[in-house]
Amino acid sequence: MAYAYLFKYIIIGDTGVGKSCLLLQFTDKRFQPVHDLTIGVEFGARMITIDGKQIKLQIWDTAGQESFRSITRSYYRGAAGALLVYDITRRDTFNHLTTWLEDARQHSNSNMVIMLIGNKSDLESRREVKKEEGEAFAREHGLIFMETSAKTASNVEEAFINTAKEIYEKIQEGVFDINNEANGIKIGPQHATTNSTLSGSQGGQQAGGGCC
Amino acid sequence: MCYSAPQEEQTWLSWPPLYHTLTPPSRQPETLSYHCSFADGPTRLFTHLRYTGQDKSLGTSGDCVFVRACVYMLSFHCSTPFFPSSTSLRFVPPSSTMYISLPDICLSPLILNICHSLSSRNLFSRKPKEPKPPSQNIPGWRLFGKVPLRENTTKDPKDSFTIQQEYPVKVGPAPGPQVQLSAARRKNLEFEPLSTTALILEDRPSNLPAKSVEEAMRHKQEYDEMVAGAKRRELKEAQKKKRQMKERFKQEDSIANAMVIWNNDVLPNWDCMRNTRRVRELWWQGLPPSVRGRVWSLAIGNELNITPELFEIFLSRAKERWKSFSETSSENETEDSGSLQADRESSLDLIKLDISRTFPSLFIFQKGGPYHDLLHSVLGAYTCYRPDVGYVQGMSFIAAVLILNLEEADAFIAFANLLNKPCQMAFFRVDHDLMLKYFAAFEVFFEENLPRLFNHFQINNLTPDLYLIDWIFTLYSKSLPLDVACRVWDVFCRDGEECLFRTGLGILRLYQEVLLQMDFIHMAQFLTRLPDDMAADNLFSCITATQMLSSNRKWGQVFSALMKDGSKEIANHSPAPRS
Repeated sequence: MAYAYLFKYIIIGDTGVGKSCLLLQFTDKRFQPVHDLTIGVEFGARMITIDGKQIKLQIWDTAGQESFRSITRSYYRGAAGALLVYDITRRDTFNHLTTWLEDARQHSNSNMVIMLIGNKSDLESRREVKKEEGEAFAREHGLIFMETSAKTASNVEEAFINTAKEIYEKIQEGVFDINNEANGIKIGPQHATTNSTLSGSQGGQQAGGGCC
Repeated sequence: MCYSAPQEEQTWLSWPPLYHTLTPPSRQPETLSYHCSFADGPTRLFTHLRYTGQDKSLGTSGDCVFVRACVYMLSFHCSTPFFPSSTSLRFVPPSSTMYISLPDICLSPLILNICHSLSSRNLFSRKPKEPKPPSQNIPGWRLFGKVPLRENTTKDPKDSFTIQQEYPVKVGPAPGPQVQLSAARRKNLEFEPLSTTALILEDRPSNLPAKSVEEAMRHKQEYDEMVAGAKRRELKEAQKKKRQMKERFKQEDSIANAMVIWNNDVLPNWDCMRNTRRVRELWWQGLPPSVRGRVWSLAIGNELNITPELFEIFLSRAKERWKSFSETSSENETEDSGSLQADRESSLDLIKLDISRTFPSLFIFQKGGPYHDLLHSVLGAYTCYRPDVGYVQGMSFIAAVLILNLEEADAFIAFANLLNKPCQMAFFRVDHDLMLKYFAAFEVFFEENLPRLFNHFQINNLTPDLYLIDWIFTLYSKSLPLDVACRVWDVFCRDGEECLFRTGLGILRLYQEVLLQMDFIHMAQFLTRLPDDMAADNLFSCITATQMLSSNRKWGQVFSALMKDGSKEIANHSPAPRS
C-alpha cells in the first residue's frame, strides 16, 4: 500500500497495564476485556494521515514481565516512537517508569519520541496515580503525556497520532535522518524511487518536501 | 482481578460441581440424538453446556449450522473413551465463545455442547414471519448457569454414569421418537430449522398496482432460479457433510482402537514398548485423550523425584505465603521493604493476573471457573519449589494444558520435570544467549527445508525470535488450536525439543505460499496470530515433510556445534522498521 513514511513504534510498560488492549483498540477499534497474555512480541499496523500524508505505523507490542526485558531490549532498535504505558490503578506500574525509561533511552536512538500513557482512565474509582503525577513525570523527562482508556477508546487514537505528529515534526525540522533506517523511519515506496536518485546523506528537509 | 465477561456469560460464574458427559451419539446422521447424563462422580470431565440458540450470522448455509456454544472439553479418566482429535475448538473473538461445526458436535462422544439445530431435512421450510427472539433470551441449556438443569436429575452417586435422563436432541420438524421431556425443556430443544431460503415470493400489497403479467412471470422465474440455486448448494453441502461424517466415523473408530492398544498393550509394558516402531507410529497418530495424560506423564518422567507429598509441602508453603502476603501487603505498601518483598509481590500478583489471561476463551481458568484454583496451586507451588526460576509468563499455559489432562499432583510433577528440560530451562530463565543458539539451529533447518521462504524472511529481516518465542514458551498451546497443540505435545513427549522446532518448520511449510506473498509486518502478524482453523492433519503432513537433517547432521549435532562455536556471535537484533 502506498504511504509516505513508515514509522516503527514500540509499546512498553509493566505487564497487565493494557498495552495489547491499546493496540487492539487502535488497530481494530475494539476492546477485549480479557486479552491473551503477550509472550515475546506481537504486531499491529495501521495507516494514518498527517499533514495530508499517508503514514504507516508498524507497532511492536512487547511482553511486560521483568524477565523478558532482555528480549524486549532488542526490539527498541529502529523505533521512531515508543508508547510507555502504566496503569493508573496500580501505583507500582507508575513507580517502574524510571527503569523503563532508562531501558528505552539506552537501547533506542536518541531522537525516539516517547509518549507516556496512563491507561485505564475509565476506572476513576480505583485510581492510584493522579493525573498531575503523570504530567509531572512527563515534564521532568521530556515526554508527551496522555491518559487513555483502551476500554472506552478515550484518547487512544490521539496517543498514537500525536506521537506520529511529533515524529513528523522532527522530520520536518531535520532532526531525523530519514535515510538511516535505524531511526525507525522508512520512506514509502513511491518516495523511495524519487529519493533514490538523490540518495546520498541528505537531511530530512528535502525528504519532507519531496512528497507528492 | 478485573474480569468482566459479556453479560450473558455472567451466570456461569457460580457453577455447581456438576459433571456432565455425553455418551456417543447414535450414529444416524439423520437423527442426531444425544443422550446426556449428568452425574456427580469422580470424573474430571467438565463441560460447560450452554445453549444460546442459533445465531443466524453463523450459519454458513442451511445444513451447515454453526452452533454457538461454549465448550469445556477436558477428558480425564472418563468413562467415555475419548475426545476426537478431529474436533477443532475455534476461538472466535470478540465474544470469546466457541463455534463448533455440527459434525464436530455429533461425533464428539464426550463433551461438547449440543445445541445444534438442524436442518438437512426440511431444506426449504419457510421461516416464520415473526422475528426470532434474540439468542440471549432463549432460556437455554446452561449447565453452570441459571437454568436449573438438574431439576429432573436424580442424583446417583454410586453409579456416576447412570443415565439419569435422556435428552434427545432431536431437531427438525418431526419430534424425536423419545419424547419424554418436560414442556419447558422441550421448548428449549425445539430449534428452528435453519434454511438458507427465507425467500418468499409474494404479490404486491393490495394498495399498490398489481404486477403486470410479464413482471410477475419474471419474478417467478427469478424466484425459481434462486431457490434452485440454493437447493443445489444445500445438496452439495449435504453431500460434503456426509463425506466428512464418514471420514470422522473412520477416525473415531481408529481412535477407539488405538485406545484399546494403549491401555492393554502399551501402558502395561511401557518401558519395553515405548520405543518400538509400532508404538512410535501409533504415538504419531495422536494419543487418545483418555490415555494422553498418563502417556505424557510417563514420557516426561520424573527425574526430579517429586512425590505428591512434596507437592503438598510446596503447595502449603505457597498458601502460607499468599496468606502472609495478603496480611502484610497493606502495611508494607509504602515502605521500601527490600527487593525481595517486591519480587515476591510481583510474582504472586502476576500469577493472579495471568491466570485470568490464560485461555480466556475457555472460561475455565478465570476466577470462579473450575480450574482457577488448580492452576493457581500448581504455579504457586512451582515458585516455591524453584524460587530461582520463579514464575515466568508462558508457564501458565503449560500448566493449564497439563491440568486439563492430569490430576493436580501429577500435573505438578509433569510441569516441574518438563520445565527442567534444557530447552525449557533456557527459555524460562530467559537465557538470551542460549535462546539465540536455539534460534540459530532452527534457522539451519529452516534454510535446509524451505530455502525460498528462508530467503524471503531474510530479505524482510524477519528473525525467528519474533515468532518462536511465543511458540516455544507456551509449547504452541497459545498459538495453535488446543486440539492441535495437544497433538504437538504428544510428539514433543515422544521426540523432545527437536519436535518443537520441527513443528515450527511445519507451520512455516504449511503457510509457505501465503507467507511468500507478504511483507514484514503481515508475516509478523500472521505468525504471531496463526489462523484458528488450522487442521491438525494438514499441519502434521507438513511436519512429516520436514526433515531434521542438515548435511547429515541431526538437530542435536547442529545445536551442540553451535554451542561449541560460542565465540561466533549470532547477529540477532531487531533492525529498523521493516516494510
